[in-house]
Amino acid sequence: MTLAIGVLALQGAFAEHIQLLRRAVAEASVSAPLQGSTAESIGFEFVEVRTPGELARCAALIIPGGESTSIALIAERTGLLEPLRDFVKVQRKPVWGTCAGLILLAESANKTKATGQDLIGGLDVRVHRNYFGRQVESFEADLDLPFLGEDAGTFHSVFIRAPVVEKVLSASLPVDHTEDMVTAPARKATAAPVEILARLPGRARALRDRSTTAEDLGEDGDIVAVRQGNVFGTAFHPELTDDARIHAWWLQQVVNSTVI
Amino acid sequence: MSTNGTTKKSSTMTSDPSQSSFAVKAGLAQMLKGGVIMDVVNAEQAKIAEEAGACAVMALERVPADIRAQGGVARMSDPQMIKDIMRTVTIPVMAKARIGHVVECQILQAIGVDYIDESEVLTPADPTNHVEKSGFGVPFVCGCRNLGEALRRIAEGAAMIRTKGEAGTGDVVEAVRHMQTVNGEIARASSSTDSELRMMARELECDYALLKQTAQLKRLPVVNFAAGGVATPADAALMMQMGCDGVFVGSGIFKSGDAAKRAKAIVQAVTHYNDPQVLADVSSGLGEAMVGINVEKLDGGARLAKRGW
Repeated sequence: MTLAIGVLALQGAFAEHIQLLRRAVAEASVSAPLQGSTAESIGFEFVEVRTPGELARCAALIIPGGESTSIALIAERTGLLEPLRDFVKVQRKPVWGTCAGLILLAESANKTKATGQDLIGGLDVRVHRNYFGRQVESFEADLDLPFLGEDAGTFHSVFIRAPVVEKVLSASLPVDHTEDMVTAPARKATAAPVEILARLPGRARALRDRSTTAEDLGEDGDIVAVRQGNVFGTAFHPELTDDARIHAWWLQQVVNSTVI
Repeated sequence: MSTNGTTKKSSTMTSDPSQSSFAVKAGLAQMLKGGVIMDVVNAEQAKIAEEAGACAVMALERVPADIRAQGGVARMSDPQMIKDIMRTVTIPVMAKARIGHVVECQILQAIGVDYIDESEVLTPADPTNHVEKSGFGVPFVCGCRNLGEALRRIAEGAAMIRTKGEAGTGDVVEAVRHMQTVNGEIARASSSTDSELRMMARELECDYALLKQTAQLKRLPVVNFAAGGVATPADAALMMQMGCDGVFVGSGIFKSGDAAKRAKAIVQAVTHYNDPQVLADVSSGLGEAMVGINVEKLDGGARLAKRGW
């Protein structure tokens, strides 16, 4: 069978994701083929998504890095914002957001532009936009990503004006609003917990919001990868490397949740 | 051309500008792809641009159409104005420095702009050299008319390229010419043998290794935007259909009748550049476009694209 995997192509590094998805499939077919429950080999089709019609064809979606304000505004004017919320929060199809994509998938974001911005939501977290600062503070780092496997080694990752997850939200508690914070409209609540999949060590002390952060959660380091049910988000850009391991892992998650 | 080898560990990753790797510099340009970067001269215009969906703004004192009309020496903008704009919007802020003016670049880096445009729109400060850009932590974008010029700029450290269409004219013909030239030369390089490539590198006055990489990639090794003379959504979509990664719009927005509406329309046109129905919708009822200057009517000395070496 063939699964259509969409990459939101309104603005940003969507071509880079499609390239790495193709590489992930090519490499996986050599090592461990992506397979469904019947051991049937799965085929993939990669779709640039610019319209509601193109989104409707997809079994899963990547929201790439780019400018989250641009992507949100274009989505709204293209009539894609509500279909995207439906895709993520009602149909609960698998979605992965990188950087700007993580911001759009958060239920809450701060340090947004003066008039706020639309969010899709799906992850019960609050992100801090441009957390590390401006471009001169962008950097590369080698991360431990335990979800790739025990012996995976580090993943070389690129952070460009990147956000972090600064707080895991409790669905039952009301969000405390500050001036430059926006939230996504509510949909069906999910029972799935927010799992912290990766941290960037050594920065937690710099956090300004001390109320609930990495340190309270008993670990050191900023949260840079999270998952809640079918929604996965990374603050960094695997699509700026030539390492397809996260893409291969995510495709397997997509297969597991849609085929099996 | 690859990263400068300084892979930062998380413990030492705080900002040491000179340590920014090429991947980080080129990476921001990749995040701007499929987007529109708009010239703005104050915080008010920057807000309009951000609300319209611009993926970045270019802060400068006068848009190219005014520089052209008023003449005189055009220089880097007042840092105070650039800082006001940086405080006002959350999208990346770029600013222009004169060709070869190292100190203007140092000042722009010191105030923390996200990208420097070493631009022919300003009056060149060095008659022979461009700025050596690899030593800066802040990334640079530079203009080109052809592949040789693009690869010379990349060799100097530019992490993003744009066409050098005639800024401030509203005439897109030169941007089209530059993109056509670059595309044609890349096609030729891609079908060349190694020894032909060596000859071509001499002819284009560019680095052989970069030319070889371009030939293999069948595109420039960094992001390439259209710039110069883009005045309508159709102009923007035309440049996207020719293979540009995104579009700079200078005078075209804030010299037109309804800037906010035109800015939004150009943003939609760059995303949906292959959908004539959307292009027809967004092109409707935009009001007056900027008054154009026919590039063919310009004297040689009035042509900005000739600046740079």
